[in-house]
Parts: sequence; C-alpha cells; structure tokens
Amino acid sequence: MRFFTATVLGLLAPSLCAASDLTTPSRLDLPSDFKPPQVFKNTNLVRNTNLEKGFVRETINVVVENIDKQPQTDYYVPFPSEVFDQVGAFEVRDKKVPEQGRFEVDTTEAVSSSGNQYFVVHLPEPLAPKAQITLGISYSVLSALSPLPATIQQSEKQFLTYSFSAYTPSAYTTVTQKTKLKFPSTNVPDYTTTGGLKSGSDPERKGATYTYGPYDTAKLAPGTEYPVSVRYEFTNPVITVNLLERDLEVSQWGGNLATEERYWLRNNGSQLANQFSRVEWTMAAYQKAPSSALRELTYPLQPGSVDPYFIDDIGNVSTSRYRPSKGKNAANLELKPRYPIFGGWNYSFRVGWNNDLSSFLRLAAGVNSDSHVLKVPLIEGPKMAEGIQYERVVVRVVLPEGAHNVRFEIIEGATSNGLPGANQIHASLSSLKTYMDTLGRTTLTLEVDSLTDEARDAKLVVTYTHTMMDALRKPFTIFAGLLTVFVAAWGIGKIDVSIKKR
Amino acid sequence: MAQSSLDVLLKGSSGRNTRGLLRVIILCTIAAAAVASRLFSVIRFESIIHEFDPWFNFRATKYLIENGFYSFWDWFDDRTWHPLGRVTGGTLYPGLMVTSGVIYHILRFLTIPVDIRNVCVLLAPGFSGLTALAMYFLTCEMSTSPSAGLLAAAFMGITPGYISRSVAGSYDNEAIAIFLLVFTFFLWIKAVKNGSIMWGALTALFYGYMVSAWGGYVFITNLIPLHVFVLICMGRYSTRVYISYTTWYALGTLGSMQIPFVGFLPIRNSDHMSALGIFGLLQLVAFAEFVRAYLPGKQFQKLLTAMVLLTVGIAFSGLILLSVTGVIAPWSGRFYSLWDTGYAKVHIPIIASVSEHQPTAWPAFFFDLNFLIWLFPAGVFMCFQKLKDEHVFVVIYSVLASYFAGVMVRLMLTLTPIVCVAAALALSAILDNFLVASSPTPESKAKAATEDPKSLRSTRNPVVGIYSYFSKSVVACSVTLYLLLFVAHCTWVTSNAYSSPSVVLASKLPDGSQFIIDDYREAYYWLRQNTPDNAKIMSWWDYGYQIGGMADRPTLVDNNTWNNTHIATVGKAMSSREEVSYPILRQHDVDYVLVVFGGLLGYSGDDLNKFLWMVRIAEGIWPDEVKERDFFTARGEYRVDEEATPAMKNSLMYKMSYHNYQNLFPPGQAMDRVRGTKLPKESPQLNTLEEAFTSENWIVRLYKVKDLDNLGRDHSNAVAFDKGLKRKRASKKKGPRVLRTE
Repeated sequence: MRFFTATVLGLLAPSLCAASDLTTPSRLDLPSDFKPPQVFKNTNLVRNTNLEKGFVRETINVVVENIDKQPQTDYYVPFPSEVFDQVGAFEVRDKKVPEQGRFEVDTTEAVSSSGNQYFVVHLPEPLAPKAQITLGISYSVLSALSPLPATIQQSEKQFLTYSFSAYTPSAYTTVTQKTKLKFPSTNVPDYTTTGGLKSGSDPERKGATYTYGPYDTAKLAPGTEYPVSVRYEFTNPVITVNLLERDLEVSQWGGNLATEERYWLRNNGSQLANQFSRVEWTMAAYQKAPSSALRELTYPLQPGSVDPYFIDDIGNVSTSRYRPSKGKNAANLELKPRYPIFGGWNYSFRVGWNNDLSSFLRLAAGVNSDSHVLKVPLIEGPKMAEGIQYERVVVRVVLPEGAHNVRFEIIEGATSNGLPGANQIHASLSSLKTYMDTLGRTTLTLEVDSLTDEARDAKLVVTYTHTMMDALRKPFTIFAGLLTVFVAAWGIGKIDVSIKKR
Repeated sequence: MAQSSLDVLLKGSSGRNTRGLLRVIILCTIAAAAVASRLFSVIRFESIIHEFDPWFNFRATKYLIENGFYSFWDWFDDRTWHPLGRVTGGTLYPGLMVTSGVIYHILRFLTIPVDIRNVCVLLAPGFSGLTALAMYFLTCEMSTSPSAGLLAAAFMGITPGYISRSVAGSYDNEAIAIFLLVFTFFLWIKAVKNGSIMWGALTALFYGYMVSAWGGYVFITNLIPLHVFVLICMGRYSTRVYISYTTWYALGTLGSMQIPFVGFLPIRNSDHMSALGIFGLLQLVAFAEFVRAYLPGKQFQKLLTAMVLLTVGIAFSGLILLSVTGVIAPWSGRFYSLWDTGYAKVHIPIIASVSEHQPTAWPAFFFDLNFLIWLFPAGVFMCFQKLKDEHVFVVIYSVLASYFAGVMVRLMLTLTPIVCVAAALALSAILDNFLVASSPTPESKAKAATEDPKSLRSTRNPVVGIYSYFSKSVVACSVTLYLLLFVAHCTWVTSNAYSSPSVVLASKLPDGSQFIIDDYREAYYWLRQNTPDNAKIMSWWDYGYQIGGMADRPTLVDNNTWNNTHIATVGKAMSSREEVSYPILRQHDVDYVLVVFGGLLGYSGDDLNKFLWMVRIAEGIWPDEVKERDFFTARGEYRVDEEATPAMKNSLMYKMSYHNYQNLFPPGQAMDRVRGTKLPKESPQLNTLEEAFTSENWIVRLYKVKDLDNLGRDHSNAVAFDKGLKRKRASKKKGPRVLRTE
C-alpha cells in the first residue's frame, strides 16, 4: 500500500467558505501551433487493448529513450480532442518499479493546429541523454465501442465495433510496435486485415487474442494513422452510468455511517429493432438465454451493512433481495430493475444502507485525541462481469457538524486500479444544513470524470478534527430552542386580551 | 392509608388537576392510537401514495413546492387533457396542498430533511389525531359527562368509516376535511351557545379553510342554516343565534369566495341559496322581534302576517326569476343524484361509473361503524330528552347525514362524526350509571322525594339508581365486551379492507411470505424513463392521475372528468374498429396507448371489465356510431371468447388486451382467468398499433401508435404485406373510408 496523494488543507470551521476549493483540475494552455519537442524516441512499444468489458482498457508498455542533449522530464501522450474527455484513469508508472507509484500527469487544452490534446507525464527524475526508461501507461476509454448493427431483434446476438489506429498514436517516433487485442469470445466476424505493413498475415489470431504487428515504424512520422476496426460479439449489456452521486454521512452521535448512491444508468448496446415483446422475453428468461438486456445487478456490500434499500423516483423497487453477510463474506444486494434494460433504455435508481461507524472511523493515534480518521471505499457500485463505466462520479462525505481541519487522501494498490491522478479529482468543501444544524455539516465533495468499476478497490481516507464542544452544540441548541418556545408560550398565555370590563 | 392518599389525588382542586392531566394523557393516547392504526400500509408496503386521486394531489403539491404559491395559484397544466389542458389552479381545492406545503416548509425551516412524499403520506394520519381531539371538544359541548367526549374521541380515532379515507398514503381532500368539518361544527356550537362574535368569526375562519379543502363544504353551508331555521321554527330565536349566524355567514361567505374554484358560487349557485335565505330570514325575524318590543300584540300579528307573505312572495319570485334567467346556476348533477339514485345512471353515466357514487349497501353500515350504528339511535333519542340548541343540531345532522350516507357510499364519511357523538352520548350515559360502585344513598332519595311535594309527579326528577351489583357487573362486562369487539373489528377492517395501496398488489406465496405484484409501477417507470418527455399517453381516465404522477407524461383524460366529450372520445377510440380509432389517435397526437389487462393473473379490475362504461359514455355522445347493444351477444351475454360479437372482437380495446396473448399458451389453450373463458385460437391482429411494453404479469400493456406508412399504404395492407400475405384484389366492396390525417 502506498499513499499517492495527500492534498492537505488545514482550515478552521469559521472560515469554511474562505477556502471552499481544495483542488481544481486545471489544464495547461498551449500555443496553437504547439508540437511536442522531439526529444524522445520510443524504441519499443506494446499496446494491450482489452475489449472484454463494456469499455476499452488499454495498457501501453513503451521503452523511451532520450535523444536530446539535455536531460528531459516531460513526455507527451496525445489523444484527439474528441476522445480526450472519454479517457479515464490515465496512469503512468515506471514499469520496472511499479511500486514506486504513479508519475504526476498534467492535461492540456486542445491544440488547434493538430486537434490533439495531451497528457503531460512528468518523470520524477530527469532522463539523462541516451538513457532509457520503460513506461507503463494505462487508461480506459469510455463510450468508444459502438454496436453494429445498431438495432437488433430482441433475442439476437449483439456485436460491438472498435475502431483504432494500427499505429499507436504517439508524439514521438516509434521504432517497433505491436497491438494485442483481447476479445471476450472467439466470435469475431469482422476485422481489418492490413496489407503490406508486415510480412505474414496481419493480424495474427490466437483464440480470443488478435495481434496487429509487430511493425517497423522507424521511418514513419509521428502521428501517422492506419485505421483498423474490429467487430466482435458482446451479448451483454453495455452498462453506462451517466452520473453517480454517492453520499456518505458520518454520524458520531448515532455511531452510524449512512451511504446512499444515486445512479442514472443507461444501456449503450444495440437498440431493439422492433418493440419489446414480453412473450419472447418470458421464453428467453425461461431458457436463461444470454441477452443484451440488463436483467440484474449484483452489489456486494461491506460486511455488517444493514437496512439496505433500493428505490427509484416512484418508490420502493420490490424486486430486490438482500443476502446479509455471514462472517467475513461480503453481503450481497441483488438488484433487479423494474424492467429489463435493453439498448438505449434508461434506468435511474438509488440504493442505500447503514454501517456501524466503528469499523470505519478511529481516533488518530498520538497527541491530538480530537482528530478522527475515516476510511471508506471511494466508490462501491455493482460488480458485473461485463464491467460498468461511470461518466461522472460525485462523492460527498458529510462530516459531523463543526468538523474542521479536513484533509483527504486516496489509497490505492501497488498496481494500477483505475483511478486518475490526484490533480484530476475536483475536491471542494461546503457546508450542509440538516437535522437542526446551526452551523451546517462540513461536506467534502470529490468529483471525478470517466471512471470504471476497476476503481472499486480504492479507499478514501478523510481526517478531520471534531471536539467535544462541537458534539455538544446540538443538544444545547435544541435545549435553548425548546426553552424559548416554552417561555414564549408562557408569556403569551399571560397576556390578557379580553375586552370585558375589569 | 392508600385510600386517603388516593383521595388527596382525586378530590378537591388537586383532584381536578389530576383529572385534567389524565384527560390530556388519554387524549394524547387516543391521538397516537388513531395515527398508529392508519400505518398498516406503510409498515406492510412502503411510504407510498395510494389509489388515484391522491396522485394528482401529490403532483400538485410537488408543483406548489417547486414553483411557489403564486404560480400554483395560476397553474395552467398543459400535461393533462391534451390538447385542451386544464386550468388546474382554478379548478382545485388548494387547502390540502397548501397545508402540506406549509408543513413542509416549517420542517425545512427547522432543517429537518423530510421528503415531501412523506409529508403527504402521513398527513391524513396526523390529521386524524387532530380529528379525535376536535371530536372530544364537540362532544363535550353536548354532554356534561366528561366520559362522553373521551369516548367520542376514541370512536372517531379508530372507526373504519373514517379510516377508510384517512389511512397513510390516502392523500385526499377528505384527509384534512373531516377534521375541519368536526372542528367547524364545534366552533359553531360554541358560537351558538355563547352568542359570541369571536367564536362566530372562528367558525367562519375554519369554514373558509374547509371550503379551500373539500367540495363537501356545501354540507356545512346547508347544515348550519338548517340548524338556525329549525331553531327559529321552534321559537328559539335569540340574539345569540343572530350574532353567531350573521358573523359566520358574512365572514364565511367572503372567505369562501377567495377560492378561485368557488368564486361567485356562494351567491349564484342553488346549493348555497339556503344560507343566503336564512341570512335574510334572520334579519326579518330580528326586525320582528325588535318591532314586537314596541307594538301591542294585535297590530304586531297583522304586521307580521303581511310581512311574511310579502317577503316570501318576493324572495320566491326573485329566486325563480334569477334561476330562469340563469343568474343562479341550477343544481349540479351530483346533487340531483343525491335525491334520485337512478338519475346519474340515466343522465350522467360518468358519475354512475364511479363505484363510490353508488348507493350504500346495508352491511356497509355495520362494516364501517360496527356497534356504533345501533348506539346511534339511542344517542339521538337522548338528545331529544335534553333538546338544547346544540342537541337540535345533533338531531338535524343525524337525520340528514343518515339519508345521504344511504344514497352514496362516499358520504358515509360525513355520517361517521355524528354517529360517534351520538354513540358516545349513549354509551357514556350507560357507563356513568352502571360504573358507579356505590349505591345511591337513601338520604338523597329521601331528600329528592321531600323536595317539593306539591309539584307534579312528572316534573319531579325521579331518582334513578342501580342498586344490584349483579346488574352493574353484567352491564359493565357486556359493554367492555362490545368495546373490545369494536376495537378488534376496527383493526381487522383497517388491516384487511382499507390498507391496500392499490398501486401495488400483494399476494401470499405458499410459504407465507409476501409476494408483491408491481406491474403498474413497472410500466409507469418504463414510460418515465424511456419515452420522450412529451409523449402523449391515452388510457381510460382512471389511470390519468397515476400516469401524470408516476410516469410524468401528458395524458388525454384523467380522473378530473371535467370534459365528458373528451372522455367519450377516448371511449369511442377504445370501442371502435381500428380504422375508426386510428384517425382519432392521430388527431389527438397520441403516442402510446395504455390498457390494463388482468387476464393472466385474474386481476378483475381491468379495462375489459370497465369496457361497458366506455361504450356507454361514448354512446352518450355518438349514439349512431357506438352502440352498447353491439357488444352483447344475441342472448344478451357479455363475452370475450369465440362467441364474442364482431363489434367486440374488432374493438381496439379487445385487440389490445389480447394481442399476442395466445402465444403464451400451448395452441388452443389460452385462458382468460378474469372472465374464466377460453379464448379464440388466434390472437387478434393489430395493424395500427404495435406493442411497446408489457409488464411482467401483463397487467399493464403499452402500445405505440404507428406512424403513417412510408409507402402510403394503409396499415392493414402494410402488415399483410410484411406477413407475406397476398394482397387482396381491390374489390368493388370498398371498406369504410380511412380518414388520413396530415
């Protein structure tokens, strides 16, 4: 385990609004004719594209050599601007020592001359001339898969297409490169065969793995493209969450951690050619035939989760089942939407549950006993074999009233696990008035774009200071309020309003 | 020693305090019981709005919360009654929505994060607690016995006749109206007793609130004048009556006219004329009283006769003149059906088609009121014995409400309060006499006997007392037994009859666990999520409010039923052949048609069972095109199987109900479990609509209206072509011309 980021901001309760913005992702503005300086050379590049899920997951391992005379630190990774915003969880590590952690990455605005946007990777130590480093670049691309045919019959198989360039886009000259595609099944009816790029058949097929290359591209200018597209069977829903709002509410009085998540979900698979037929669906469900419709979501919950609920805009969804945890096993919430979600259909809902706070919150060891440490999963979300893509995630942690000195950090594993860099997370502090609060509760809001369900393992650690006086504020307020009411009632009762003669 | 310490608590001024405290505790407990007994559906299902009308009230409340009071007041709703729209702000009673809006804002001000849905769901139980309190006050005005008020409060709290309209989730006008009704009557009695302007003004205030809440305010508008009229006739005119009535009438009428839906009705509608008439009469009587004080008896008699004849003549002819010229609106249809139960069926089928407008069956009285119904006459009789001004009120109320409750099931609600009052009076009289452990002392008897030996026997108060412990205990035991049975009955009725949300259907699995059939919400939510925001949904009017509330889509007709022709249009579209219906659908921009079909599950409240009402209502407007007779077989049966009439088989409703249904069964074995018949082998062919969605148990079926054919064919040809059938030769026999819109 390593801490990769610690955005530290001490702040006192009264000056909440003064420092409401913790971090804001900023993009570097580049001149319109910007071209990355040709200071690097990719000696060898291997791109692994994983298509097993409803989104594209790519890992590029590249050996980079400094061909300049100066030591260099900034390595540019280009994406066309229309794709750029769909790229999520961009992460670069030193392939040799991944446990050293991720490199700092900046993003840039679009460069108008080339239409590219860049991730700027800052190497932790400048790369000396002639020296080499192996970078492991991983990221996911959301909504890059499109169903073809776009409309299918209800019980037909669904196919997705993925278009990309056989030459991996890079800002630098690449000597040799290849691309490995991993499909969910061996059923790949259409794929581009290249001609004259290399000797022998291209791509090479081996089970569900197709390999384009290796190509010798030392002579090609950087940015040269060779469009390739593949079409493969994916008879699973393409689950896309347009927006996930996740609220974690800490109640120190009640010893409770309440979680509520609100989903706006959509299936981005093939739409129905005809309308929905219940007869056909009943038959298919009876035979347990695979379908491109989303039938059920399984949602593992932390052990000890209680009172789960599954509701949508018009009330309780009665088709859910909760299997409480036994011992150390995770509890399981089986959510069945009201109707099967076919391609193009939407479904929005909310789930929530309670946990005992003691297993998530502890007092910080050492000097200051008022300092609390809260450790919760950053996102949970259903666990589906076909994967889930989140276009936007908003996590709100509602801390007790009067909490101050709020800091947070995100802990992730040794290998990449689907999170963007710290400076891609928008964090802000605000206050939320609820349940007879006077000051309002300190609320930490984290906003992340383009996540996938791989980020399920990441943990969010929030530390804050909350004193005894803060905890006693509310009982005092209520006491004072009731006292006022009684005194007022007594006073009003004393007034004589009769118009009789005395 | 314990005896004496008890005495300290129960006697003297501290005894009064103890009793007062006990009374407060008992009342709070009664209120809590009233609230608790209405929560069955929340505990069993969830916090959900029930039935149909509450969904509209809920939607209107949400609109009020979101857009503020003034835009609510001026709300023109273009999402109902497409394409006409509805001036919703001016055609509803805003009291309910404003009440829950105020509660919501108060809670929000205290930063209690309550959902408006929960405010709405729990409003009725909350107000029923208040009703019990109001009942206590009202009954305490009737009787000197302190137990009568408490008994009445308890009865009111749990009697099924009131629970039926106030369980959690039944967010309807009645939820607050019954409280207002009872409380207004309490204030009125108080005003008449004291002759006080303050109480009269308070009566007017709560009357205004009642007017803003429920159309049933007309009951108060007529009952109070009737009370005053009877008092005058009994020769009980007094300044108290004059002060309280004039105060109430002047302020109350002004208050009621502030509601846009009521507007000028109080001076233009026949329903309100009695209040105006009594107001005038009261002035005359007051004048006569005034004159009488100054004139000798003979002259006064003459003057009085002349004046009475003159005013009656003027008033009557004026009324007739105004009615004929149309300044005063005639009685409304619902009002006529109160006097002639057959009226609605003949003239306004839409009113008759609502089950709650049917006459009450006799068992319903016992079902809703249990033993109160036979204590009721006894209580009324006891009122005759005392017959003060307030007792006259009870008697009039009882007579009127009994009649109305017999005519319309729904009006059982207005009967319930007075039944509780009367029954509590009777029962408290029994208890007060039989629960006294000590025998009446002979001294008092002797004293009573020797009080005034010269007076008439009948004017003497006979000493009534129960001496035998046996009879005391028998009566006490049997009353206790009746009370216990009453509680058991109320709980049972509430739990079994009145606590189903009707949006969700519950059944039991063989292992006893609850199985929920949630088809309505499944389909509504599908509509909400997967159709364009302004897709127009056509369905029978019963589901209009639910579609508006849950699916949030525009509808053609809804439970407001203000435009009979529009409803008849929908009825015609449902009951006609596709060739006739399709142009209607196109003309009304219909995108989806919703039908409810219970054939798979045996759910009897489905559209095919309501179909005859659609036919009847359509026939009312188009007697030449839709005929009820065509839907019955030659032998007069209503059938859906092979023998169904051609009109039935070709109707859109029939086709939509059974479309594709036969494929669910082995060939030739399709069954309709509601009507218990075998269906034809082939499912009907739909040409102009296509199935868009069918819920899990087939209860709700949605059809999409096809667009015009791209090649300009009519839909039956297009479908036949798609199926590979050979096109029929365009024969000489021309079918009915298909109207092409656009």
